[in-house]
Amino acid sequence: MGSLCVLRELPVLMRPNRPNIKVVMQATQIIHAYKQAPWRVQRQWVGAFLLFVIGAAMIAALYLDVTARAAIAGREIQEMRFEIIAIQRSNADLETKLAKLTSTAEMERRALQLGYRPVQPGELDYVPVPGYVPPEPEILLVAQDVTAPEQTLPAEYSQSLLEWFDEQIKSGGVR
Amino acid sequence: MRQQYAIRSLILVAFFALMGVAIVTQMIRIQSSEQAQLFLAQGDRYSGEFQLVSPERGEIYDRNGHLLAGNRTVYEVGVSLPDMKNPQAMAYTLGMYLGLRYEDVFNQLVNAPDTWEYVVVQDYVGAETVTSLQALMKQMDDVDDDRLEGLAFKPHYQRSYPEDSLASNVLGFVARDGRGYFGIEEKYNDLLAGNPVQVWVPGDPNRAMEIPRVPNGTTLVLTVDRDLQAKVESILDRSLTQYGAENGTIIVMDPRNGEILAMASTPRMDLNNYGNYFSLYDNGSQYNRSIGMSYEPGSVLKVLTMAAAVDTGTVKPDTTFMDTGAIEVGGITIRNWNRDSWGQQNMIGCLQHSLNVCLAWVSTQMGMQNFYGYMERFGLGHPTGVDLAGEAAGRLKVPGDTDWYPVDLGTNAFGQGITVTPLQMLMSVSSIPNGGKMVTPHVLYSMLRDGHQYNVPSQYGGSPITSDTARTLNEMLALSLEQESSQALLPGYRLAGKTGTAQIPTKYGYDATHTNVSFIGWGPVDDPQFMVYVWLSSPSASIWSSETAAPVFSQVAEQTVISLNIPPDVVRSQIVNK
Repeated sequence: MGSLCVLRELPVLMRPNRPNIKVVMQATQIIHAYKQAPWRVQRQWVGAFLLFVIGAAMIAALYLDVTARAAIAGREIQEMRFEIIAIQRSNADLETKLAKLTSTAEMERRALQLGYRPVQPGELDYVPVPGYVPPEPEILLVAQDVTAPEQTLPAEYSQSLLEWFDEQIKSGGVR
Repeated sequence: MRQQYAIRSLILVAFFALMGVAIVTQMIRIQSSEQAQLFLAQGDRYSGEFQLVSPERGEIYDRNGHLLAGNRTVYEVGVSLPDMKNPQAMAYTLGMYLGLRYEDVFNQLVNAPDTWEYVVVQDYVGAETVTSLQALMKQMDDVDDDRLEGLAFKPHYQRSYPEDSLASNVLGFVARDGRGYFGIEEKYNDLLAGNPVQVWVPGDPNRAMEIPRVPNGTTLVLTVDRDLQAKVESILDRSLTQYGAENGTIIVMDPRNGEILAMASTPRMDLNNYGNYFSLYDNGSQYNRSIGMSYEPGSVLKVLTMAAAVDTGTVKPDTTFMDTGAIEVGGITIRNWNRDSWGQQNMIGCLQHSLNVCLAWVSTQMGMQNFYGYMERFGLGHPTGVDLAGEAAGRLKVPGDTDWYPVDLGTNAFGQGITVTPLQMLMSVSSIPNGGKMVTPHVLYSMLRDGHQYNVPSQYGGSPITSDTARTLNEMLALSLEQESSQALLPGYRLAGKTGTAQIPTKYGYDATHTNVSFIGWGPVDDPQFMVYVWLSSPSASIWSSETAAPVFSQVAEQTVISLNIPPDVVRSQIVNK
């Protein structure tokens, strides 16, 4: 209430060329008192604290969320790794089982059971297919001869510096 | 009133502040205490575990992609002692399912050392048994029965051979120590096994990515043809019975690049039961006779003597020799296999009738320098370098050796006093069908690793003779086989080859009643695509190679042309002409 009364007197105080020190000091005190009003300071503190708490909570929530997601992903990776290992084992087992079921002895037994018999050379008919080139095995003639590389090595790989100088001098340094 | 509240508030604030400070102080104190370090260390210990990761052993396939050696899952069955509730029930169940004695299992569980937390009851338990046990555990779990609490199963791989004994001599086997023995399994053990790695596996899911990946072993593809291998093994087994031979070996090789297409040897072993090894073999050299056993080959070696003589120009196919039935070399008289004289013969006749006297004459005409020089160039006395474990080198005595005598020049010419392995003979003679170039035999076709295929290049083993000599010998051996009307012939295909009958050396000289019979041959003569070596030891039906090994060669050749889709000569020439 006191502050309202003071405000009404303000136009008087602001009259130019007639400074009233007493009034000015009084006003300053009033303004000062107004600024340090406890409820205002409290509100500021509470606001700042709440802001901090909300910020911290947001960061914490974000951190928790990211960490939880990372943990879940990590756990999933771990589980997938175990699953991969289990699948690999299962694959190996199935592959071996399949190989057993299609083994020579087993296939021969089943073929005989179905009434097949081994083919004789005279029973085979060879039909030439125009344009068909049968796959050729890796013929040695196209493979590298292990004795050849020594002879085909360039001189630079075997000659010494002196030998090189000698060669250069003899050839007049012209290549 | 206000002041009172203020004081109370201050007291409360002070109290909570003190509490907070006390809590923080206590937290700092706990975290920096000695016990905390201990706890941290303990925590670290349980934050993960070291695991020895043995990668899956690489598989082995034949050239057509049939699995010859794979892996299957087996289990280590054990009991976690702190979790075990009822040792009697556990021992009874495990005894029943694993075929163990109750007392043994019970003692194992109850009398385990105090420091032990886990007891392995049995390893290498099959998946079927473990599945039954797991089903039982689930049933008991459903009714809250905890008598099997603590029972654990740890899976791991075991080598498995789906073809049982097929190609066992080539493959070798893997024992429980995880190491390969003999054959491919031993030769390429490091590649197949991969590198076992001790890895730290964190329990923290955030560190899941830190678990290192351990690559599996390298998968190998062999040059062996599974179906041909099976046929060759079947022929070998039949011929042992038919001719009453003790043991035998048959090798089929591509003379153009040294790829081994089939390699059969007796006895063979079911690789899934390698425990039989000691009952089947007296020593390691018997495991694969094709590479491990050297023997005096007899007349098959005449091919090399004649090749050397033709190459040096000592003789030509039409060079004549008057066979009187005996020749003296180094003061010792050498006679023919039937002790007869065969009169005038050309060099084809010498090979056709397998005349020892003629070949001894040829080697003496050539001279020891030339003869042994060529034998060295043919690779005798040295391992072939085949990629199989346990290869023997054979023995070539040369002048200057303490046990070399001048007569050896004559006897060595027809394969006596000289030892070779069947594969060594095959490699040496490969120079004839291959235009003068020897090939290095090999079993590995390619390697598969990390999704890449690495093919193994073929290698030369040298060029001991010229291509002209090779052509000449090719023709001479084809003619001698035809003129002899050999049982080795195969209708529709022109083949070349040579028999070999060798007496077996003993401490007291040569045993006249037992022989090693061999045959080396190849075809088709105009475009050789396969070479076959047959060795039967001590056949009782006949001591002669022409009556035992030669017909076996014919059977193998017949199966080989079918397996490799080689048409008869007439059809082939028609195809070429078109």
